Amino acid sequence: MEEAEAAERRFSDQTCFPELARFNDGVTMETFRDWAAPLLASKDPLVRDYLKSKLAELIGDDAGKAGQVVDWARDAQGAEFKVLLSGLRESDAVQRPQVAARLLEAGLDKGLPLERRAGMLSALDSQKRLTPDAMDRMAEFARDPASAEAGWAATRTLGRVMTRESENLGDASPYLDRLITIATDSPDEQIRHLAQTAPLHNSPVLDAKTTDRFARILQSEGNEDGRDAAAQVLAMSSDKERVLKLFTDSFNREQSVCVRWALFRFSARVAGRDALPVMAQMATVDPRFQPLYGTFEALYAQGNVDFIRIWNELPDQNPFGCMDRHQ
Amino acid sequence: MPRFLQGLRALGGLTLMLASCPAWSTPPAAKPALNGESCSVQGLMDQLRQGMGSSSKAYRDYLNAVLREAAVTLPSGELRAAFDRETDPAMVEQLAAALVARSEREAEKDALQAVARRALEDRDPSVRAATVRAMRRTGALEKTGDMYERLMRDGSPEVRMEAAQNLIEDNQYVYSGYHGPATDTAVNAATASTDPKVTAKILESLDTRKLGPEAGQKLLGMLGHESADVRRSAALALGGVPAAQMGPAREALVGMYRGERDAGVRKALVQGIAELGFADAVPELRKLRSVDPSMAPEIDAWIRALESGVQEWGLLLREKQRLQQVR
Repeated sequence: MEEAEAAERRFSDQTCFPELARFNDGVTMETFRDWAAPLLASKDPLVRDYLKSKLAELIGDDAGKAGQVVDWARDAQGAEFKVLLSGLRESDAVQRPQVAARLLEAGLDKGLPLERRAGMLSALDSQKRLTPDAMDRMAEFARDPASAEAGWAATRTLGRVMTRESENLGDASPYLDRLITIATDSPDEQIRHLAQTAPLHNSPVLDAKTTDRFARILQSEGNEDGRDAAAQVLAMSSDKERVLKLFTDSFNREQSVCVRWALFRFSARVAGRDALPVMAQMATVDPRFQPLYGTFEALYAQGNVDFIRIWNELPDQNPFGCMDRHQ
Repeated sequence: MPRFLQGLRALGGLTLMLASCPAWSTPPAAKPALNGESCSVQGLMDQLRQGMGSSSKAYRDYLNAVLREAAVTLPSGELRAAFDRETDPAMVEQLAAALVARSEREAEKDALQAVARRALEDRDPSVRAATVRAMRRTGALEKTGDMYERLMRDGSPEVRMEAAQNLIEDNQYVYSGYHGPATDTAVNAATASTDPKVTAKILESLDTRKLGPEAGQKLLGMLGHESADVRRSAALALGGVPAAQMGPAREALVGMYRGERDAGVRKALVQGIAELGFADAVPELRKLRSVDPSMAPEIDAWIRALESGVQEWGLLLREKQRLQQVR
């Protein structure tokens, strides 16, 4: 028995740090980097999470300390760089305007390598809101052909703060406005796609102008995934009739069966059971949709009303193999 | 945060204040030797016992995670013996969680049974409550038979509430409402409880999309409960039942509205009716509007939200909140 237990112990892959209590009680802003180095070198993920949260506690709501961490992050390497920015991101002080401004400056600083700027811009994603000026500068940067991964990070931050704003029942429209600009204008397909899919996380109700702008993406985006996302976003337009008409026209002209499948199923997200005539017509244009039409019709006849429920009741959510086309 | 930590946090705040008073009195702490070593039951127990009162949430979170992570490879005999011996509720919770983690990863099959037994049989209600918490957000619910119905009859209100919290969080975070047997376990426990507060707590936020027919009948029965809180929560739960049960649920809620005197229950009835019908509920809601003039604003808010044509329940709830906020 003892032997077996000794063997089990040998295989233990979780590392323990008996002195961590002393670290925790004694560490200060001044000693953090020096003391944390051996812990980071251990590559233990629990310890790394601890260091992030501990740094956030040390920063507290102190803008000066937060600014210090931004400075450290300008030249810190590897795991330390990530811990510094994650700790800052979690801290209370990051919500202070001067700290957010400093992060944004670093993120847009041409003197820093792009991957570092991406980290700085990502650390802004815990903001409760962004100022109109910050939104403009991030959106402009994301449309810059040279912005690469940092432009991608700026776009993701705009999307994440928009989602948070929506969750708090705030106004998502200033963020959405910038994101649609990126979704339309960025020369980088990945950045455009990120902006096109950002509203899928908060499903804003679209007004007439936003509906117009997303309709243009549906009609002109060269990337199928972008048109697919546009269909899903447009399903939340307040102008149901217009979107059903748009979906019908687009379906007829659309060559990709995957985008056709998006237009077909998201018609149900537009208008529920009332979309069935439109879906029936699509199934006449493309007979591959006949059995799918039958399924939707039956699910509505059974009394289902919620689109999510309908979607989850489908016997096959991937009838054309579209979900795995990128693998 | 677990209740046992709240008092400790207050104390921790105090020591932090005292420690930071005269800077000259505390020389900078010496850098601890941060060597990682393989974990042992005794070492972890010592670290936990010392550290769980720490004022640093980051450190407490680390300690909470590390024993669960190490659990699979710790010697099982030692771990079980430590669990059987331990009487401090906070430590029992840690050790129980480690045993549950072992059982979840199938390192040990009967570990969970030992935990369940202690949740039901320990003499100290704080230990029973702590053991129940240790099973939260795990798959324990599927392997513990009628434990939750029995916990509903526990003499301690704390234990009953902790059990209710498990049923809520397991259904929400482990199964996302998609596992019928887990939904039924929650409804069976809620209806077996003689504590109206506990019944209401379980039912008010329960996702019932996969509710079984028998549990559905029990839920309908709760509409006649003498406690308004229970009737309110049952009405909310009935809003989400599967298509096959929607007809009887709608009839029950509509039929009950006129005779119901409690304003909170009436609000819940209206919400349940809205969820069961989406836009189709509008004519019914118009009819109910004259029954009680004080309910008219609430019903109007629902009608406006439903008429927006949004096809997903979560988004409809948000639209209703948003529309009420704008007014």
